[in-house]
Amino acid sequence: MNTSKDTFFKKHISPLLHHKVFALVLLYIAMLIIFTVWSKLVGANFLKLTTFRNILSSLVVSAFLTIGAGCLLIAGHIDLSQASIGAFASMLMGTAVQSWHFPWYVAIIAALLLSAVFGALNAVMVTKFRFPSFIATLAMASITKGLMYLFSSIGKADGVASNINFSDKVLSFLGKGKIGPIPFNIIVMIVFFIIFGIIMSKTKFGVKVMLMGGNPVAATLAGINANSILFILFILSAVIGGIGGVFYASKLQQSALLALQTNQFTGITAAILGGISFGGGSGGMGGAFVGLLILNTFQIGMSVVGVNPFWVNVFTGILLLFALAIDFISQQRSRKAPTL
Amino acid sequence: MAMSLELRGIGKSFPGVRALDGISFKAEGGRVLALLGENGAGKSTLLKIMSGDQTSYEGEIVLNGNTVKFSDPLAAIKAGISIIYQERQLMPSLSVMENVFAGELPKSGLGLYDKKKLYNDTKALIEEFGLNIDPNEQVGRLNVAHQQMVEIMKAYRRNSDVIAFDEPTAPLTDTEIKILFELIRKQKEAGKVIIYVSHRMSEIFQITDDIVVLKDGKFVKSLKTAETSEPELIKLMVGRDIGDTYSNLSRNENYGDVVLELKNLTTPYVHDISFKLRKGEILGLAGLVGAGRTEVARALFGADPVKSGEIILDGESVKFKNPRDAINHGVALCPEDRKEQGLVMFRTIRDNVVMPVVDKICGKGEGKGVMVNKKLMSNLADNAVEKYSIKTPTIEKLTAELSGGNQQKVILGRWTSEKMVTKLLILDEPTKGIDVGTKAEIYQTVCNLAKQGIAVIFISSELTEVINVSDNIIVMHNGHITGSVTRQEATEENVLALAMKE
Repeated sequence: MNTSKDTFFKKHISPLLHHKVFALVLLYIAMLIIFTVWSKLVGANFLKLTTFRNILSSLVVSAFLTIGAGCLLIAGHIDLSQASIGAFASMLMGTAVQSWHFPWYVAIIAALLLSAVFGALNAVMVTKFRFPSFIATLAMASITKGLMYLFSSIGKADGVASNINFSDKVLSFLGKGKIGPIPFNIIVMIVFFIIFGIIMSKTKFGVKVMLMGGNPVAATLAGINANSILFILFILSAVIGGIGGVFYASKLQQSALLALQTNQFTGITAAILGGISFGGGSGGMGGAFVGLLILNTFQIGMSVVGVNPFWVNVFTGILLLFALAIDFISQQRSRKAPTL
Repeated sequence: MAMSLELRGIGKSFPGVRALDGISFKAEGGRVLALLGENGAGKSTLLKIMSGDQTSYEGEIVLNGNTVKFSDPLAAIKAGISIIYQERQLMPSLSVMENVFAGELPKSGLGLYDKKKLYNDTKALIEEFGLNIDPNEQVGRLNVAHQQMVEIMKAYRRNSDVIAFDEPTAPLTDTEIKILFELIRKQKEAGKVIIYVSHRMSEIFQITDDIVVLKDGKFVKSLKTAETSEPELIKLMVGRDIGDTYSNLSRNENYGDVVLELKNLTTPYVHDISFKLRKGEILGLAGLVGAGRTEVARALFGADPVKSGEIILDGESVKFKNPRDAINHGVALCPEDRKEQGLVMFRTIRDNVVMPVVDKICGKGEGKGVMVNKKLMSNLADNAVEKYSIKTPTIEKLTAELSGGNQQKVILGRWTSEKMVTKLLILDEPTKGIDVGTKAEIYQTVCNLAKQGIAVIFISSELTEVINVSDNIIVMHNGHITGSVTRQEATEENVLALAMKE
């Protein structure tokens, strides 16, 4: 009896305790407790439904960026152009609906196709010309931002780029609608996390991404075609950036020139906080989601307890350093692990 | 007092390996001493100890009569020991003059350096060498021979008491070799201690006065160059006890049809490689480090481009675009560097075993569908663990946590799983850094695979191993095949002679 209990513990409970996501969930719970107590001390109330509604609605757009950034980071690459591509996509969508009077679905498809093209260009730079992805996508961020301004200024009487306000029932539902009590965009976000979680952990593609991210040379020599995987991932990252742009604009009913500016690094930050190591080859979508939750809860919690918003940025940076330090230490430890 | 360098009882252990054991000899000033030995004899480790690169060792180093102990390479340089390594240690994006005087740039106050003086000093040095190099040129843009000469200038201008050269002539052409030998003679006349490591016998007899032979980390003999001969030296370098390991191997006796034929294969790295390999045969590729054996393997595996010539696999002329293509045709490679090229260290044994067959482990195993079948993955890994007796409590263990021998077995398991149809298995240095017991296990495994009809290419720098495991041995030097022998004909002497053939 006792032994079967022991093996059950070893088989099911022990790995769970060692799992990164479990540690993250503990961290999250600790954070909730701290903010609850802290808010009571300063006479505010953190632990209430509104807070969590705020947290969730604040993270929808970043969530898409986190998924794209996370997949690429697992493969050992980075995409800094995601937010700019997403902004351009949302600008195209707004223009298509408002100025060209296209139906909403054509506008969305056009926006996502545009994103895919830029993603493919990123992929070509990285796989064909061997540019480091950091540099290739940094350049692409600047290029797409410039193109968006040019595009926005075309046909304007004064030739000046500006935001575009649009109104469309379906797009409005995408951004603000609810199914029952739950906002539609949150449902979409959760579905996306689940789908990508399954892709990364349970499909052939996901297994290959993990192995390639862990050691691209060994993966190539074992017959995994790194280039074709990177191609898919860069397009995926850009298209998901585009989806982020679509939801951002739908919520405001406006294609803004500065769309996604504040989200630019949130995706990458959340993914790393969520245990996806910067060097690639480890982590998953579950962790990335909890990372995102920690990041947004932290920021909203800080504002509930009344910390100066300027300090919030400072503390967010420190939180990221903390997460990286844990990642670094755990890697050092496994590197020193005794050999059999 | 005359300059001298004496080593007393130098020993050094790495985990699982005794790299050096009780090495003692004295190098006198005004003489050139050759350090001779096979790959892995311990020459490089010895140089690293002398240069302060390896700081933990047994025994003592006596420089000019005083015992010295260096905390780092800079301390060794300051004490007067300069070493020119095989792997050049230059900063490719800096200029020639900055490289030559790195660490001791002439100062001109305010923390700046005197560019004019630096230029003139370097210019004078280049003229003394009789070379035609611009001191302002970026080092990375020089050809390898000139880069090597810059490395030599760097050591020369320090005016050290002891200069050691590790295979200095490998990248040089005849012109620079002449310059180098002239320099060595000058330094010798100045009474300095010169230590010279080279595999080129002709050079040893041309330039050195004394010879110390090392073998398996042990001192073998010290001789006067004038009183010895090439055959005697080769005999000293190789003569080791061959234990029962090899005679106990149960070998494959039956070869099948020709599986692989190379016709004048030429790549950017190797030239005119032709040979045939039959089913169940183990073909050894012998040669010194850098002879081009790995490059033949990479070309066969679709990892390096083929310039001309033909690869015929199972009677069909093939051109592999990439390793995937080669794997689909039944070719497998266990690369030279397990950690960097073989394994994904921070993934599990299971993931590492299924790497080449990810596409075949979906659904019920026919490769249909997009979801992987975790159970099938585990089965493949479990079978590999059982077949090769990999020492691990679970297939969930990270490969980084396994010993070298078990890591190699994981890679063997990868290429011989039930989902693979391997016809040709290329093993590049499969026993590097592996202890003796596991080595024997791996030899038997290779023989067993041959019995199953797999054709094996066995690449090794260890002469004893390559000539005793292989059925036939091809010897390479400098990107060319210099000869081939059967196991019965092969002796360490004749293989080494072929490996050093110019």
